[in-house]
Amino acid sequence: MTFRLILSTIPAAVAAAALAVMPAPASAQSSKGQQYKAPRTPDGQADLQGIWEVRNSPDKDLEKAKGLIVEPKNGKIPYLPAALARKTSNEKNSAAEDPLNKCYMPGVPRINLLSHPFQIFQTPTQISIAYEYIHNFRNVYLKRDKHLDGIDFWQGDSLGHWEGDTLVVDVANFNDQTWFDKAGAYHSDQLKVVERYTRTGPDTLQYEATITDPKVFSAPWKISITLDRDTKPNARILEYECQYLADEAAKKKGN
Amino acid sequence: MRKGFLGMTAGTLAVGTILFLKPAPAAGQDTPPGPPREGGGRGGRGAGFGRGRSPLPPAGPFKRTADGKPDLSGYWNAANNGGAVFEVQKHPVARPGYPPGPGAIVDPPDGLIPYTPEYAKRAKANFDEHLADEPELHCYESGLPNQMYRQFGFQILQPAGYLVMNWEFMHAVRIIPTDNRPHGLPASTRLFEGDSVGRWEGDTLVVDTTNLNDRTWLDSAGNVHSDQMHVVERFTPVDERTINYEATMDDPKAYTRPWTVKFPLSRNMQPNYEIMEFACIEGNQDVHHYIEETGGKAKAVIP
Repeated sequence: MTFRLILSTIPAAVAAAALAVMPAPASAQSSKGQQYKAPRTPDGQADLQGIWEVRNSPDKDLEKAKGLIVEPKNGKIPYLPAALARKTSNEKNSAAEDPLNKCYMPGVPRINLLSHPFQIFQTPTQISIAYEYIHNFRNVYLKRDKHLDGIDFWQGDSLGHWEGDTLVVDVANFNDQTWFDKAGAYHSDQLKVVERYTRTGPDTLQYEATITDPKVFSAPWKISITLDRDTKPNARILEYECQYLADEAAKKKGN
Repeated sequence: MRKGFLGMTAGTLAVGTILFLKPAPAAGQDTPPGPPREGGGRGGRGAGFGRGRSPLPPAGPFKRTADGKPDLSGYWNAANNGGAVFEVQKHPVARPGYPPGPGAIVDPPDGLIPYTPEYAKRAKANFDEHLADEPELHCYESGLPNQMYRQFGFQILQPAGYLVMNWEFMHAVRIIPTDNRPHGLPASTRLFEGDSVGRWEGDTLVVDTTNLNDRTWLDSAGNVHSDQMHVVERFTPVDERTINYEATMDDPKAYTRPWTVKFPLSRNMQPNYEIMEFACIEGNQDVHHYIEETGGKAKAVIP
């Protein structure tokens, strides 16, 4: 808390100097225990910019991705008993009911875990993440500290702050329409996600997300996964225009 | 389920009704008819759409980034586009859904697209018979130059080495590296927004775009281009509230000569403005979840 207060009351140059001399708190380390000192953006943020993608997308089934779910220790999503029936039915009907198969927005953290890269851009007031998947973008607001009243989002409302070199993003105001994976893991509109982005090396970024939803889960659960940078010269994300591809496929079928 | 914001109300208007969401092109008119829009108590959407408001103080000079280049970041819209969003060329006759307007073409001087005969036929066929095929009704990105005069405005972010543009409409994105790098995609890779590379010439950002696909229209009236189109844009800031925008299209398959549009981009002056989520596909496909007649909460506004 004190960290955020300092940044809001001291001019930027002084705040940047303060950042440089502060010892990196334990939370700046990823859960893999690496301590890497990321370069800085002009205004002193740890520089997370670049094109990132998971090595192996766990989107098929989060629970079957080894090492992904780090809490609880048994690697299983802690469904409330009443919620399990719905998850099972989702899984059975996945082909017809997975919102991603209708080209809907994937939600969070799912959109970070697909086989499509995303590009992080940083400014002093916002961090904007542009996704190849349906050219979605998420704006993470660094200067707003309250979620928007009475508005719900497919991708949630993202508020960001720094804990040392880790970007912490508080995502709320979700609707109940997205799934977490193809296996029907789902949530209610009480979902809250806290993401942590930490550079662990020149070309790696550790992404963690803690998922809370008292209507569906008996306890919060947490994922942790490595993102790799696209290091090709002049790399860029492309476009996955899902609806266009679906329309073209339907045309071929003669619909 | 609580109602979402503009994305839901926008998305629930499917084929044939998207015209209602287009702003009146001339300043000073009321906002166009359409469904009531929920706002987060942050002043609604007035800037750039001609709602009456007290005059702003004279504009100061534009800011610069640390490397001395003009700072184009902020929220912008192309409110005075001559009705280009309806039809980019001069359209002196009122049509169902939109009023007459000069369009946005400054060259050729007659304000009309210099079509080859084949593409003139395609444009006419679109207008006469295929308006329901408008790509925006299918929730596709709009391509160029159409994206630049799409309704609801856009955001420019200018981190080092890039110009990033985020539109509320279709959550379209353009990522433009500004380091004068070459185009790198194979000719076979075709994108809705193309491949854009930028360089500064003095205070003008020149953006060169290739690798466009032919799946976008130039406007809602069915004007078209081929996949050979190449676009050169020039963004020149005038003052802290205005960027002059110019785009030249050349396309040897569709046009007999290059043609140029020009219109100002105006800064959105609403404090604490933010881009909202646009749930186009979701709204189009799940209309029945939202409208009263089938158990939702919104009144059906499809005429």
